[in-house]
Amino acid sequence: MLELLQHGFSAVFSIQILILITLGVGVGIIFGAVPGLTAVMAIALSLPLTYSMGPAAGLSLLVALYIGATSGGLISAILLKIPGTPSSIATTFDGGPMMEKGEGVKALGAGIVFSFLGTIASIAALMFIAPWLAKVALRFGPHEYFAIAIFSLTLIATLSTGSMIKGLFSGVLGFVFATVGIAPVDAIRRFTFDIPNLNSGFEILTVLVGVFAISEIIKVAESVRAERKAQVGSVSMKDIKGFGFSLKEFFGQLPNSIRSAFIGIGIGILPGVGAGTSNIVSYIVAKKRSKHPEKFGTGVIDGVVASETANNAGIGGAMIPLLTLGIPGDAVTAILLGGFMIHGIQPGPMLFMSQGDLVYTIFAALILAALMMLVLEFYGLRIFIKLLAVPKHILLPIILVLCVVGAFGLSSRIFDIWTILVFGLVGYGFVKGGIPAAPFIIGFILGPMAETNLRRGLMLSDGNFMGFLSNPIAGGFILLAVASVAWHLFNALRHRKDGVVELLRS
Amino acid sequence: MDTHTRKERLIGVVMLCAGLVYLVMTMNLPRKGFIDAAFVPYVLAFILCLLGVLQLMNSRKPANAGKPAEADDGEKVPADYPTVLKTLGLIVLYTALLSTVGFPIMTALYLYAQFIVLTPAGQKVNHIGYAVIAVVASLVIYYIFRHGFDLLLPSGFLDI
Repeated sequence: MLELLQHGFSAVFSIQILILITLGVGVGIIFGAVPGLTAVMAIALSLPLTYSMGPAAGLSLLVALYIGATSGGLISAILLKIPGTPSSIATTFDGGPMMEKGEGVKALGAGIVFSFLGTIASIAALMFIAPWLAKVALRFGPHEYFAIAIFSLTLIATLSTGSMIKGLFSGVLGFVFATVGIAPVDAIRRFTFDIPNLNSGFEILTVLVGVFAISEIIKVAESVRAERKAQVGSVSMKDIKGFGFSLKEFFGQLPNSIRSAFIGIGIGILPGVGAGTSNIVSYIVAKKRSKHPEKFGTGVIDGVVASETANNAGIGGAMIPLLTLGIPGDAVTAILLGGFMIHGIQPGPMLFMSQGDLVYTIFAALILAALMMLVLEFYGLRIFIKLLAVPKHILLPIILVLCVVGAFGLSSRIFDIWTILVFGLVGYGFVKGGIPAAPFIIGFILGPMAETNLRRGLMLSDGNFMGFLSNPIAGGFILLAVASVAWHLFNALRHRKDGVVELLRS
Repeated sequence: MDTHTRKERLIGVVMLCAGLVYLVMTMNLPRKGFIDAAFVPYVLAFILCLLGVLQLMNSRKPANAGKPAEADDGEKVPADYPTVLKTLGLIVLYTALLSTVGFPIMTALYLYAQFIVLTPAGQKVNHIGYAVIAVVASLVIYYIFRHGFDLLLPSGFLDI
């Protein structure tokens, strides 16, 4: 493994890739920090840049953006008390009060350092678990894949924010849109309305850009005219040694951060729930386990550490199912999946066999990007703070144009631009109806996987559905899927809501 | 609370309609047996309809009576729909004319118009500044992608 990793590092230590990683982390931090700009947008509009790059360079840029954008949220969470991304919601609880107490730099420093540690811990977990899981998954056939796809779908639909009915609806609707085009196995054209462009169905990337970037721009149009300039708190970087907090504080936070890292990795692995959930859960757990829970919320470093370690630990966690099974956990990993596929890489167990070098290149790029984030985010803080003040009415139209370029660049069709617009409207409708968008994307991606494997599995077992239940792994996952829906239904019927789930949904 | 119930009911109606439309479309698919290309769409259409009905039933009782604050997702500013519609119109116009007029001109025009539409109410529209940003951004993006990354963005009337 060390040898492979060495290979990976030698692949990323080229001037071109180093520059790309630096740029990626920087741009990612900006998109994470500015409320209203998201990691998905950052990756979406950088994708067309990678079309002509080699896979190593392209993927390095994408993962750098991912890491930068995940940690960038802490800047606005602490300075503005507005989470830049959902993954930094819990950071505002204590980061904001720390800023008010004049400990802004300390909060930022701790947030950045523990973001880094969380990222590294999760990359380590990724490097140990993923190759092993890939080996197990190599033996999976259509029965197992069908069951895993169904399990992931129900999990994301039941755990995502909002009501379960809406979550399930969103997931099924994503599946519905994925049935457009030529059907698997018997190659019948479905729902194409005789439009040739629809034969191959909708491109994943156009769907993602539409639902997550275009809809966001339309949503901002609702409120941007009423907006006043945000007051950005200023922090003085003078007389700051190291990262603004003492070694004693660092060691005092280690147990907290280790626990949070485990929570972040564990939740990150589950499909459908990611950093947006783990930061809140780990904050709650840290508060419960603390010797001074009453101080939480008044500006203690523990809160920032718990939230920031956990959200960044989700990065490696979410990459595990993505790389080994081709299952994205959330919108960001879904768009990463789209990016991988543009470069001809199909994540799944075979990836580790056929393109092992590339996998370790990705690991190396992740580690390098994490290091870059540590340095860039703290020492470049002043620049990022300045960028928080860039007016949105200038920024968003330019982002829209870049999304249009990206969609057009997929296969030089104006049709793809119309597609992002349509899905932008779908996404906006979701926002208006309080319907979560993440299940839609997961349904869109996992739907075809479920259908293809259902058809194949039925062919293997001569049209007998029992094949899915008699297979121990497939049966287990289907059982879990049914149990999770039943459990939620049971709770909903009894009107007794589970505490944690309730908190996650609020 | 009343508007909330009405909104939830409307969502249920939309969900049910989506399911029914999909069901009708599925029924027009050619059939070859029980398990064929229409099997999964039938299952999906059925689930969509079921979820629509469940949503309608749910909206009838004020389930979240204890938590009215949750109702509107904390919308503080009333939504500014005219701006939303103007923005959508501009994007549609931009996409429709992109290949005939060409990327450089159309993008500059779109950006300029969109900047004006989105300018906050309290701020003055800076025509010269907007025009400069629009033209520069459009040309920079065009050159980078057309010449740096070989992306054949439509050039339209301008041959650059």
